[in-house]
Amino acid sequence: MSLREYLATDFTNWSLGPYHPALPGPMMLRLQLDGEIIVSGETEAGFLHRGLEKALERHSWQSSLTYADRLDPESAIFGELAVCLAAEEIAGIDVPRRAQNIRVILSELTRISSHLGFLARMAKAVGSTPMFHYVLRDRERVLDLFELLTGARFSINFLRLGGVSADVTEGFIERVIDVCELIRIRLKEYNDLFSFNHAFLKRSSWIGVLSSERARALGVTGPNARAAGLSLDVRKSAPYSGYELIDFEIPVGRGEGGTIGDAHDRFVLRLREITQSLEILKQSVDSIPAGQFQSVKISREFTIAPGEAYSRVESPRGTLGCHLVSDGGTRPARVQFKTPSTGHMLTIPELVIGTRVEDISVILLSLDISLAEFDR
Amino acid sequence: MITAWQSILNLPEHTPHAVVMILVLIISYLFVVLPCSLIMAFMERKLSADLQARVGPNRSGPAGFFQPVSDALKLMQKVDSPSSNRAEAIWLGIAGMALYSTVAVLPLGSLILLVDTDMSVFLPFWGVIVLTFATLMMGLTQDTVSGWLGGLRTSLRGMAGVFPALIAVLCAGLPAGGFSWSHIAAAQSAAPYHWTAFNNPFGAISLIVFLMSGMIVLGVAPLDGAISFSELRGGTAAHLSGPKLGMFRLSRFYGMFLWCVMAVVLFLGGWSIPEGLTEALRDSNSFGVIVLIELFVLLIKTFAVMLLIVMFSQVTPRMRVDQVTDLNWKVLSPFSLISLVGFAFWTAWLHG
Repeated sequence: MSLREYLATDFTNWSLGPYHPALPGPMMLRLQLDGEIIVSGETEAGFLHRGLEKALERHSWQSSLTYADRLDPESAIFGELAVCLAAEEIAGIDVPRRAQNIRVILSELTRISSHLGFLARMAKAVGSTPMFHYVLRDRERVLDLFELLTGARFSINFLRLGGVSADVTEGFIERVIDVCELIRIRLKEYNDLFSFNHAFLKRSSWIGVLSSERARALGVTGPNARAAGLSLDVRKSAPYSGYELIDFEIPVGRGEGGTIGDAHDRFVLRLREITQSLEILKQSVDSIPAGQFQSVKISREFTIAPGEAYSRVESPRGTLGCHLVSDGGTRPARVQFKTPSTGHMLTIPELVIGTRVEDISVILLSLDISLAEFDR
Repeated sequence: MITAWQSILNLPEHTPHAVVMILVLIISYLFVVLPCSLIMAFMERKLSADLQARVGPNRSGPAGFFQPVSDALKLMQKVDSPSSNRAEAIWLGIAGMALYSTVAVLPLGSLILLVDTDMSVFLPFWGVIVLTFATLMMGLTQDTVSGWLGGLRTSLRGMAGVFPALIAVLCAGLPAGGFSWSHIAAAQSAAPYHWTAFNNPFGAISLIVFLMSGMIVLGVAPLDGAISFSELRGGTAAHLSGPKLGMFRLSRFYGMFLWCVMAVVLFLGGWSIPEGLTEALRDSNSFGVIVLIELFVLLIKTFAVMLLIVMFSQVTPRMRVDQVTDLNWKVLSPFSLISLVGFAFWTAWLHG
């Protein structure tokens, strides 16, 4: 054996997961490493598969909504909303304006809570514990609002076909305004403490750059696509629940820290989305009309005429689609979800190539993937 | 110095020097290093809790003061991790022994310097370098990718960090005219404008270089890529648990304590108290009181420096290992060389 052959080094194989702090959830990431540099990465998921779509098909129309909650526990309302919108379209149920407004309020509160969770995870990924604690403390205030209105903090199980399960009270509206004010102040604090911190910029800018072409090709939606420069948002392109009446903007990545579509851009974009959500909340709270909060009463024997529909909602992670088929029975005949995390997962093998091992957690968590909705 | 210790400990005159040395080592370790570790661990936890809007430890003892004690007791009761191997234990032991051997050269006061040679400033580096090497070996003996990466990162930052640190030590020794602790302490006084860090334009630069390179060599929080949890799951320390983990943490803590004591003695006036007070106490033959006051002054300064480092490490996101070495070779090293040249000219101008 010659010296050159003796000294030659091969790539190292390293499998992370299924449980690992750098991963967004239970999944495997198989890496090939050249020293600290990643040569290739493959993902494997399915560890959180619960047969959720099947579970929805085995329960009555109302009970299935409870399962839709579990699609993505961190943003529970969007699973329910997607199923509700599709079912209401097939059945031709009208949703009262007041109920629509309440749905928008809950959606935007959930978006804020989910994005705050994202900020906390990013802070944890780069080892900034104070930021992690501040953000989680403020998210508690949002979860308090859910508890006040629905009795639950995460899986709220609040929507009904044709409306919502309970009316909002005056006290709730006031509390929403208070929390909005608080979060607005806190966003400035987060920016001062963390967003443009030199050390954080060095860890997140120019890392995991997702181009708009690749985002489009891989079916990436939501904040990740917007950070890559695509102005995609179902709330604007196909408004539902009265989003067309609300005046708000869709933030698009500007590449303030490094370049458009890098991990830092995805971070800052979510901060700006929180600002827009506050704006939407303010308008919907101000314009909440009087009236009933549910148009039909749903019993266990409730049936929907045969038909199918596809609904789309803008969840905190991207466009969530729900294809619903009714055969005229008391349960959905077929439920299929098109989850945003699917697109995000596809980007991982491309984004990790050429980065360092220490960047994995930053890249993976900056994509804000929910393994719960990916595996279903 | 042995005679000073003999009189402080009330030992008979014909006691062998080796016995005195061993006694002093045990006393310094039990009554200075160990209590300082516990106090500092408590203060660090409380400070970081304050910075993170939490309460922090509040159950064991008044305001949770005995939390470090209960932590230590808990760690001692734990069973060793099944994946830890013998080689790891040996390297951990070597690191501990090398580090604690530096207790002998720990400058704790003018009267209680055990070893005061012309090169004693450089002796603690031996312990720190062995700690780095042993941490590297601990990682490599794990036979896992994360241990291997952790070991590599340790060696990278160790190699990079020692260079500017040594240059900064040279800076402090130049105006003092020697590298024994007594020389360096004698060149400063109780007044801050006589401290090496402030009595010339380059002192502050050297102090900052010394502290930052120390954080890098020891792998203090934002620069601890080798044992980071977020992607290596503990890296070199991944297999340690129970008493071994306690030992590892204690030796890491002692490394930081040692470094801060060195920084204080080299740049921040050390143990110096006003001349008049020393004279008065010396006249009244109360050497024990001098020792205690000097130790108090030194430890207060050391704690202040350590808390500063804790605060810095809490608010700064973790740096990547290539950024750490970049910082070392591209920022700290040039600055240390500039300040060395500056110190040389300053000293020549002052004395020449």
